[in-house]
Amino acid sequence: MIETIRIGMLLRETAATPYRNLITRPTGAAVRDRIEAALAESDCLTALLDFSDIELIDYSCADEVVAKLLLAATDPGGPVVVLQGLREDQHEAIEQVLIHHGLAVIAVSCADGASMPQLIGWATSDVREAFGCLCERGALRSLHLSRMLGWSESRAQDALRALLERRLVRSDGEIFLPITIA
Amino acid sequence: MTKVIEIPAHLDDRSFEQFAAGFGAWPPEGKLLFDARGAQWASPYGLIGMLTAGQALAEARRDRPLFAVPASAEVKSYWSRIGFFRHAADLFELHGKVPKATASGPSDALLDVTPVRAMEDVHEVVNRISETAARILRAELGLERTATGRFSMALSEACQNIVEHAGTGGWVAAQTYTFRRRLGRRVAVIAVSDAGIGFRRSLESTHAKRFGERWGDGAALEAALIQNVSRFRDPGRGQGFRQIKPFLDKWEGKISIRSGTARLAIVPAWDEDAPLSEHLPFFPGAQVQITIPAPDAEPR
Repeated sequence: MIETIRIGMLLRETAATPYRNLITRPTGAAVRDRIEAALAESDCLTALLDFSDIELIDYSCADEVVAKLLLAATDPGGPVVVLQGLREDQHEAIEQVLIHHGLAVIAVSCADGASMPQLIGWATSDVREAFGCLCERGALRSLHLSRMLGWSESRAQDALRALLERRLVRSDGEIFLPITIA
Repeated sequence: MTKVIEIPAHLDDRSFEQFAAGFGAWPPEGKLLFDARGAQWASPYGLIGMLTAGQALAEARRDRPLFAVPASAEVKSYWSRIGFFRHAADLFELHGKVPKATASGPSDALLDVTPVRAMEDVHEVVNRISETAARILRAELGLERTATGRFSMALSEACQNIVEHAGTGGWVAAQTYTFRRRLGRRVAVIAVSDAGIGFRRSLESTHAKRFGERWGDGAALEAALIQNVSRFRDPGRGQGFRQIKPFLDKWEGKISIRSGTARLAIVPAWDEDAPLSEHLPFFPGAQVQITIPAPDAEPR
C-alpha cells in the first residue's frame, strides 16, 4: 500500500502561511514531525512525499525534513520513504544534504507518463548500477544480477545488501524486489 | 568632541575597510558623525554596513550618532527608495532633507533593506524576493529558473545564519547592477550584515582549542566557510555555506565573509580579491556578500 503525503499541504497547516517555500530549520522540524505522525498512524509500505506544491527548499530544510527523517527511520518494517515532484534545484539541495550524511533515497520523476525511480544521495557506482538493473528488470537474485552485469556473485550480493540496508529495495528470502511506487 | 566617520564616495565591500577604519577602537567613545554628504553611490553591502554600525553603537549604549545625508538628490532618492533612511531614522539623528520613500517612486531593488531578527523574517525575506527575483534575474542576468531558486536558497541560508549565530538582529538587501570595475557585466548581489558576536566568538567554545594559537577571526572564518564547522553538535549543521559553494562555482559567483578583523572570500577567476585578509580594522558582527554575475555569453 502506498500513502502519498503532500508536503505543500503540511507546510500550509504547520506554518499557517500561504507561501510555498520550505525554508528554515524550525519549519523543517515542524513539517518532519507532521510526516512522522502521519507515518506512525499508517500501515503503508511506501510513503510518497510529494513536493510538487513546494516552490523552494533550502539546505537547512532539506536536512531537517529529508535527512533527519531517513536517519530516524530505523524500523525495518516501517514504510519506505520515496520522494516525488522534485524540481532540479530541489533535487540538488536534497542530494547535497544526503551526500553529507552518507544517505540515499529514491526519488520518482515522471517521464513520458511513466514513473522513473532514481537514487539521490550517497551511493557507490555498484549500488547505483544494481538499483538501475533491479528497477528495469524487476525481482531478481544476486546470481541473476551477477550474470546480467558480468560481476562476481559476491559483488552483486554486496550491492544488493547495501540497497537493502538503506531500505532502497525489499527482499523476500533471497529475492530482491524494487520498492512499490505505483 | 564629535568624531567624523567619512562615508566613502563609493561605498562597497572594498571601500568598506576605509569606513571601518574610521571608528578606531570599538566601541568608539564620544559623539560620532557619519558624513555621507559626498556619497555618490553605495552597494547593498555598504548601506547595511552603515546600519550595522548604527545598531552596534546603540547596543553598546553609545550616544545616538549623527548622520549627514548625501548632498546628491539622486543618491538620497535612491537610498530612500531602497528603505535605508526608514531604518536609519531609528538609529541615527539624520541631518539634511530626506525624501519620503513613497515620493521617490518604487524601488527597483531585488530586495529593499530589510531587518532580520527572527526566523519569521527569513520567511518574509525569501517570500518577498521570490516574487520579484525570478523575473529580474531572468530579464537582467539571463539566469534560468533553477538558478533563481538557488539564489533564494543562498539568501535563506545567509539570513538564518544571523538568527542562529549573531545573538542580535541584522540586515539584508539585494540588488542588481553593472559591475564595471572588475567585470563589466550585470551582477546580482546579496548583502547580509549583523551587529552580533561574530564568527570567532560564536565558534570559540567548540573549536578554538583545535586551532591553538592560530585561533582568531581569520581561523574562525576558515573553520566556518572552508571546514564547515558549526557550534551545534548536530552533524547536519554548518552546511549552509558549504552548500552554497557548488552554486557559486557553477555561476562564477563570489562569496566573501567579513567578521571582526578578518575577511575570507571564495574568489572566482574574474576577481582579484585576496582569499584571506587579516588584521583589518575591527568591525562588529559579520558581513556576508554573495555576487552572481550574468553569464559571460549564452544564458545557462
